[in-house]
Amino acid sequence: MTPDEHATAAVGAHAPATARSLTLEHVSVTYPGGTRALRDISLSIAPGEMVSVVGLSGSGKSTLIRTINGLVPATSGRVLVGEQVVGGLSGRGLRELRGGIGMIFQGFNLAERTSVLSNVRVGRFAHSPTWRTLLGIASTEDTRIITEALDSVGMLERAWSRAGALSGGQKQRVAIARALAQQPSVMLADEPVASLDPPTAHSVMGDLLRINQERGLTVLVNLHLMDLARQYTTRMIGLRDGELVFDGPAAGATDTDFETIYGRSIQRRDVLGSAS
Amino acid sequence: MTVATCLPAIGGVELELGAITRNWRNGAAKLQQLAQPNLAFFPRTLTPMLETLAMAVVGAVTAAILSIPVTLWAARASNPSALGRQAVRFVVNVVRAVPDLVYATILVAMIGVGTLPGVVTLILFDIGVVVKLVSEAIDSADHPYIEAGRAAGGTQSQINRRTVLPQSWPFFANQWLYSLELNVRISAILGIVGAGGIGRLLDERRAFYTYEDVSLIILEILVVVVLIELLSQQARRRLR
Repeated sequence: MTPDEHATAAVGAHAPATARSLTLEHVSVTYPGGTRALRDISLSIAPGEMVSVVGLSGSGKSTLIRTINGLVPATSGRVLVGEQVVGGLSGRGLRELRGGIGMIFQGFNLAERTSVLSNVRVGRFAHSPTWRTLLGIASTEDTRIITEALDSVGMLERAWSRAGALSGGQKQRVAIARALAQQPSVMLADEPVASLDPPTAHSVMGDLLRINQERGLTVLVNLHLMDLARQYTTRMIGLRDGELVFDGPAAGATDTDFETIYGRSIQRRDVLGSAS
Repeated sequence: MTVATCLPAIGGVELELGAITRNWRNGAAKLQQLAQPNLAFFPRTLTPMLETLAMAVVGAVTAAILSIPVTLWAARASNPSALGRQAVRFVVNVVRAVPDLVYATILVAMIGVGTLPGVVTLILFDIGVVVKLVSEAIDSADHPYIEAGRAAGGTQSQINRRTVLPQSWPFFANQWLYSLELNVRISAILGIVGAGGIGRLLDERRAFYTYEDVSLIILEILVVVVLIELLSQQARRRLR
């Protein structure tokens, strides 16, 4: 590889990530059982913002994040990613939209019996023809993107390890690499550090912040801990019983604001503590 | 003694206990023959035994390959379409409901005497077993990575091929090995209706009342089954 090619390759890996805005207009979600998970939520997130969604479990944060990539359809209202309305999409259109939105999960959601590499390949699903996936032949372009994604989270040396053999923090890094391999414009994170010990939690949050700053991605991260929201995100959205109860700068959120979000006084378990 | 001689009169039913005393010797003679396997018969069992083994392996391997897509169609995790799933499950249940001897008899009539009807019977039987048990095992496991695959914009077949399948290999491998064990046992019986293998020889020697030969054949089947069991135990250990 000539230096020139190397430069294009490095840019290429970041290139398609022109961050997109997220807009919710009067979005409500009612599950088939009758549970109202979201009630009339309206908000708009600018491209490249790092936003936390804070609330207790059952407050609707998981539902909110899943309406953005259509994993949970909005019962009423509109969800827009950039200019695109999520609700009207199905089949190929929906898969293409999802291909541009990375997502990581509390439980990592890896196929633990397969290699780290196979798991990261999942991130290329929407970007490669199905026959390629079925035959297991990755294009050189895909291989380069996957390598770069693994490298950026420091997991390249473990590419051939079985995903199930990794520690929790390493698993979440592989999951981040999987999402980065999509070359997304938006990154969704559903309680990404709730299954991790405090030091690992801080380093994974640090990875997300770095992705936001270096790649300019719009990041939407669900958290239930107030100090993580304050420390790592610039804007905070508070949910309580499916309703928007706070929307403002995360650093400026007072303890009273958190008490409004939690619907009770602050307890020790609402804070993770610093890395040490 | 007195009680024994008086009993037949009770209720006016004529129980000929005498028949037992006279005939049990015949059975005993057969048991005695069975207890003395005719080792000299061994060379003649070799070819049919290899034929049975070949049938068992070919049947198990073919069924294993065919069982992969059918199982994925039958499991909820890998096939979200309830209608398609029900259809596949219905067909598999029908296949399972027909006894293997019935398959063999019909297939011998259709294809002719030989190993082919036996192999086809084994394939049908194995697919029924593997698809049912493995699809149930898949559905009872958690598949969090499917949501990740969907969130990444993957199609169901991409998700199945790259994640569900590698996650489910141990379920498949367990049943494939088990079906190989079963095949050796079943193909011994299938020979009776003309579907080839050691079973045909077993039936022939039984018809000639040469129980020493029958005994040797049974012994051989036992040895082969135990050997396959040991091999599959090794393979299973490696899969964990």
